[in-house]
Amino acid sequence: MLSIISLSLFGILNLFLGFLKSRRVLLPATLLFIALAFAANLLDWNHQYVYFRDMLRTNNLFINFSSIILLTTFLTVAISRSFGTDEEHTHPAEYYAIMLFSVVGALMMVGFENLIMLFIGLEILSVSLYVLTGSDKRSLRSNEAALKYFLMGSFATGIFLFGIALVYGATGSFNLSAIGSYVSGGPTTGISPLLYVGLLFILAGMLFKVSAAPFHFWTPDVYDGAPTLFTAFMSTVVKTAGFAALYRLLTVSFTGVYGLWWQVLTGVTVLTLLVGNITAVYQSSVKRMLAYSSVSHAGYLLIAVAAKTPQSPSAILFYSLAYSIATITGFAVLILVAEQKPIEGRPDERYEAFNGLAKRNPLLAFSLAVSMVSLAGIPLTAGFWGKFFVFSTAVDRGMTNMGMVLVVAVLMSVVGVYYYFRVIIASYLKTGDSEPIGIRPLYRFILVLTTALTIGLGLFPDVVRQLF
Amino acid sequence: MQPTIPDVVQTIPLPYYIWFASALFVIGIVGVLTRRNAIIIFMSVEVMLNAVNLLLVAFSAYRSDPAGQVFVFFIMAVAAAEVSVGLAIIVMIYRNIQSIDIGLLNRLKG
Amino acid sequence: MNVNYIWYFLTFLTLVSAIMVVVVRNPIHSVLYLILTFFCISAHYVLLNAQFLAAVNVIVYAGAIMVLFLFVIMFLNLREYTAESKTNLVKLGAAVLGGVLLVIIVAALRSMQIEPLNKATYNSQVGMVESLGKVLFRDYLLPFELITVLFFVAMVGAVMLGKRETGERNF
Repeated sequence: MLSIISLSLFGILNLFLGFLKSRRVLLPATLLFIALAFAANLLDWNHQYVYFRDMLRTNNLFINFSSIILLTTFLTVAISRSFGTDEEHTHPAEYYAIMLFSVVGALMMVGFENLIMLFIGLEILSVSLYVLTGSDKRSLRSNEAALKYFLMGSFATGIFLFGIALVYGATGSFNLSAIGSYVSGGPTTGISPLLYVGLLFILAGMLFKVSAAPFHFWTPDVYDGAPTLFTAFMSTVVKTAGFAALYRLLTVSFTGVYGLWWQVLTGVTVLTLLVGNITAVYQSSVKRMLAYSSVSHAGYLLIAVAAKTPQSPSAILFYSLAYSIATITGFAVLILVAEQKPIEGRPDERYEAFNGLAKRNPLLAFSLAVSMVSLAGIPLTAGFWGKFFVFSTAVDRGMTNMGMVLVVAVLMSVVGVYYYFRVIIASYLKTGDSEPIGIRPLYRFILVLTTALTIGLGLFPDVVRQLF
Repeated sequence: MQPTIPDVVQTIPLPYYIWFASALFVIGIVGVLTRRNAIIIFMSVEVMLNAVNLLLVAFSAYRSDPAGQVFVFFIMAVAAAEVSVGLAIIVMIYRNIQSIDIGLLNRLKG
Repeated sequence: MNVNYIWYFLTFLTLVSAIMVVVVRNPIHSVLYLILTFFCISAHYVLLNAQFLAAVNVIVYAGAIMVLFLFVIMFLNLREYTAESKTNLVKLGAAVLGGVLLVIIVAALRSMQIEPLNKATYNSQVGMVESLGKVLFRDYLLPFELITVLFFVAMVGAVMLGKRETGERNF
């Protein structure tokens, strides 16, 4: 709760700092604000609070999820160099403020106890992202991505709200526990069909936001068109918050109809894994490949949600952490490499841009290789343990239920290795003719930090696992 | 005088409202899928949101529970915020390409 | 006078004007039909004894949101007829899809049982300002406060995106 209040205030403070028009103040100030919110967030460790008449619940799970979100935001802000193409027309203070505000929305989605908090949190996050997607105002691709994201996003919001309305009609409440006791308590007349239809609409809306197939069609275009920095932000923070919200909603409110949503989710999982991984293979741009890979990672996370074992929350947490860190590293290297040799005024995001990276910048190549290996789920990296924990929740649920999903997931992990290693092969085995890239100290520090975290979590997963 | 139950609540069955709101909602969905003009697509989304509002108010009135109507209040607030951002995006695009037909926006394919 | 006739008439008018929003060519006509739809829905709210929302619906939707729409349409001068680039096949497909969706919803909800009205505990005053205000500022205080964050984002975002940067053409 303290973190939500402090972030709202810091966002406003950030807008005032914009008067100084100096990036030298803004960047450290924003990082400090996020660090303070992170500390404020940790104060409630081992306490359980319910705020404002059952609106928000904070417990250790909330703190874990919000810590991951804040850490990801910190890393994203730290690698922000310039917004847009020319320095004169950018407004860093406003964009940093919008990022802080969007984190408020994400935290509301993690700790909601009432559907209205979920709805408003989702809207704060989405509206911020519409603005951030369109922040490169001169670029038509950015404009187009913003419009597409906006139209599709508000359409999904409509569907999500229709679901909430039907669930309210069936249960007469927006409170998660009240809905939960209606569903599992079994009213005398049986569960109203309104609830089933409503649940399906809510699921469609939520799956749209976390970009699971068949609701993923907007993802590649939007991720591709948005400025790379915000693509990194979108693909990590929205996933973490979205899955925390989805898991919370389904387990607290709809445990009683597990049979229904389990079927829907396993179908969606298989489709997401297939579509995400197979389409990623055919991409020629690394940014688009990472967009499809984020679709496929939504599929892996859905396995843990669909399995619904007591280990599921910690599996989702570990997977989100591993995925977020590796994705940020990947996008950070992509930003540097792509901006080196623009083609027709646009960053060069093809695989060929990475040729010979290991010779020019060994650090960049090594960070990239570690992050790709982690995303592919090879042992000794965090990504391996993420996949391991997710798969073991499915095994706990039983092979008769989850067997098919597991087979598809393992096969698709092998497909994933192919497209992730294309980048590594380009940077280590091919030769390029570009100059070495200059890296600023903070950027270098963040790359070293994320790489160390990925390897560290891969070697000692229990260090973090104890907290979850 | 003792306030009385509204006439419609007594004579119109609740399912009529559900069917009515569903029909309105589906009209909105069809609008989103068929039109190309970004502003009209956006207006279709508003029709969808109004279907949701109507449904919530109907449920709220039939149960005499104020929570549903408060939710409608929040939906209206959120819709207003969304509209301002959405129209800003549309203005920004119009400034660049002098059109808001989403068919012309196809740089991000393949 | 039988209130049922009013109900059926309003419902018919709402659906027809909503369909007109979707099918007419001229964006300004679309906006006007949408305003008609909002007024009909407000009338429905009055029938349901939700006077406060009826007023807010007219003020916020018809008053603020639709004026913003009209403003942008006239600002961008979109009055002239522009050929739409979607084929009839797509339109037919979408219409069929919508029809199927409606049939599915209605079929799924056909067997629903509605609990009968409890005349003893029914409170006809829930839709009044007093009762809504109590709930809004007591139970829903936190979302009410946090929605200001959304307004901040919308305000900053709309100004950032809509603003003309130096060197850009006006329109």
